[in-house]
Amino acid sequence: MNIDINFIGILIGAIMASSVPLILAASGELITERSGVLNLGVEGMMIIGAISGFALMVITDNLFFAIIGSMLSGLLLSFIFGFLTQSLITNHVATGLALTIFGIGLSAMIGKDFVGIPGKEFPLLLVNLKERIPFFGPIFFGHSVIFYFAFLLPFVTNYFLKKTKIGLIVRAVGDSPISASNQGINVLLVRYCCILYGGAMCGLAGAYLSLIYTPQWIENMTAGRGWIALALVVFATWSPIKVLIGAIVFGGITILQLHMQAMGIRIPVQFLSALPYIMTIVVLVIISRDSRKIKLNTPTSLGQMFYKEK
Amino acid sequence: MNTKLKVSKISKIYPGCIANDNVSLNFESGKIYALLGENGAGKSTLVKILSGVINSDHGQIFLNDKLLELNSPKDAKDNNIGMVFQHFNLFETLSVLENLSIDSEKKNEELRVLVNEILRKYNFKIDLDVPILNLSAGQKQKVEIIRCLLRNPKVLIMDEPTSVLTEQETEDLFLSLKKFSNEGILIIYITHKLKEVLSLCDEVAVMRKGKVVSVSRTRDEELSSLANKMIGESLIKIKKKNNNTLSSEEILKVSNLNFISDDPYEINLIDINFTLRKGECLGIAGISGNGQNELFQILSGEIISNDSSIRFRNKEISKLNPKERREFLMAFSPEDRISQAAIPSLKIYENVALNNFKTSNFFEKGFLNEKKIKNHSKKILSNFSVNTDNVNLKSQFLSGGNLQKLILGRELITSPELLICFNPTWGLDVGAINYIHQTLMQINEQGKSIILISTDNDELLQLSDRISVINQGKLSKIINAEDVNPEKLGLLMGGGVIDKN
Repeated sequence: MNIDINFIGILIGAIMASSVPLILAASGELITERSGVLNLGVEGMMIIGAISGFALMVITDNLFFAIIGSMLSGLLLSFIFGFLTQSLITNHVATGLALTIFGIGLSAMIGKDFVGIPGKEFPLLLVNLKERIPFFGPIFFGHSVIFYFAFLLPFVTNYFLKKTKIGLIVRAVGDSPISASNQGINVLLVRYCCILYGGAMCGLAGAYLSLIYTPQWIENMTAGRGWIALALVVFATWSPIKVLIGAIVFGGITILQLHMQAMGIRIPVQFLSALPYIMTIVVLVIISRDSRKIKLNTPTSLGQMFYKEK
Repeated sequence: MNTKLKVSKISKIYPGCIANDNVSLNFESGKIYALLGENGAGKSTLVKILSGVINSDHGQIFLNDKLLELNSPKDAKDNNIGMVFQHFNLFETLSVLENLSIDSEKKNEELRVLVNEILRKYNFKIDLDVPILNLSAGQKQKVEIIRCLLRNPKVLIMDEPTSVLTEQETEDLFLSLKKFSNEGILIIYITHKLKEVLSLCDEVAVMRKGKVVSVSRTRDEELSSLANKMIGESLIKIKKKNNNTLSSEEILKVSNLNFISDDPYEINLIDINFTLRKGECLGIAGISGNGQNELFQILSGEIISNDSSIRFRNKEISKLNPKERREFLMAFSPEDRISQAAIPSLKIYENVALNNFKTSNFFEKGFLNEKKIKNHSKKILSNFSVNTDNVNLKSQFLSGGNLQKLILGRELITSPELLICFNPTWGLDVGAINYIHQTLMQINEQGKSIILISTDNDELLQLSDRISVINQGKLSKIINAEDVNPEKLGLLMGGGVIDKN
């Protein structure tokens, strides 16, 4: 069989593009969780990011405002979560679930008037190189700026956590907020910042979906990607690089199984649809077997409420 | 330079409890001060105020005649007050150097040089690049001390530092503290252990119920005088118990008990044989980790051994679970009060209800009979002098001594024929230990039997009628308590054999 090398390049490029929202949301959530906060509202923040980005694009006709606006909306939603869980000391899990339900409902309400409006073309970088270089061209070129940002992000996150003082403080807070507080660290401030950053990244992930990946608004268009991002963080044992690997595996198998379905391979469709979920977990479990490393990367205080003695 | 720390009229009131009541104290560098008191006397509250973790309601603190505003731990640090808490303030998953660098403005490499200097000077041996969770308790404490030393402290406060240390580590710590004191650091040493006060400290302030009741030089004090000040009543000398109730009737017979564990960290039990008579206390001594845990679990039914080897009042019970054994009037008090004996987040009466017997009727058609359980709990609280009568209190708010009284009370209120307890007074203060020892003796005097598994030799010699030593999962020959002294016991615990002559 003659395999078109260019086709494989395009396939890999498509796989990478489909993993972008997962990488963004999971990297944001990873920082939040590393500070000891479990925000289950990822899906809600993503979908709010998607609708606000799309709505702003339609209203202002400016993609830059749309992107910034989507990040701000994710941030705003995460602020609600932060205020409830950190200042009013509510339960992380319940609050996060409520946030997701709220986000999905609110986005559907805002989105009523935007259904069916076509999106705007998003500027892609280095398109000419994409066509000129075989195989590598479609993989590395002709993507949006957010694509490149997403693939850089896990490495930056890793460097931030391991090599910078602020990263160290984030890890310390996630390890033991009480010790951190006794060391004079403002635990609430650190956790708020991490929550807001996570919210902004989820908003951006949503905007990527509605502005670039499938440029239009469809109700519930995140379709569970927020939950996958959450699962990625846990199964990648809070390591940014493993999150990247997990996201690519998930994106890859999603796209491949679609092709397999299209080719009419005689495997039940339900099994193929389930494959990305199973394989991502299997792969991440296999690459995260070192129990000593898991212990070192897991934020010990994850999901615990913290309040200061007076 | 001389450092003077003055605590003036400090008060701290919590709802329902005055933790510090008008506390005034003076400290001066060059000496080691002990702050002595039972659990709950207010020592920890005072040091939390001194280290800025909590605010006092009234009162002032002066360092070299300068009034200090300690609103946060940072304020205390900035004023060169260093503090090593009983529960370490370390980040388990971060490396030693990372832990130290959080608190420091210096670059990592500079810091490494400084820390290495300190390690050399005080002869500490710690690898700076391993995560804290790989260190022993003594090493963790050294990391805390280094963290304080990096800030050139004028005052160093140690809160119950030896509770987690081995004997050797304690000796090392005392040497270091004496060195620090000679270098001009003012040391305040918080403890409830009398011997430590006498061997380490120059002056001692005793706290009781939130008040300072005495300040004196340790050389003018002795164990009994300090103990009396701390407890507030003369220690009732425990009388040797009266052995009249000891009968020859056999209550428990363990024969050829073997236990081979799948877990490499557990100890295998090899050929355990003993009999226990009615009214007798059998002590099982040994260095911890020689099979005590496994033995307790097998006797209580947490582990079911495959050999049919335990007979209680002539009935075979080795296949019964703990609840069934309790129905037969056995009672158990495990070593770990917080995770094995009680559930800290449950209320007192709920913890009591967990021990339900067929006869106690705590449950009616699957529902809790709250009134009945609460009345039963109140009876336990008053009969066993737990210092609260609020059965709705969460168990985690009880001090160790009171929790242990509650647990023993829960077990004993049904008048069991046999009590098996494991380190019943571990980590408790003198008053609570005294109370529990007396309770155990009373049980014996009522003709009930006890198996006392303990690592505290004084306790064993005081309470037991006969003693056996467990070593590497094997029991030594059982000896009459009159024939044993601490030296002999020590020899047996190390695996030696006592020569008949």
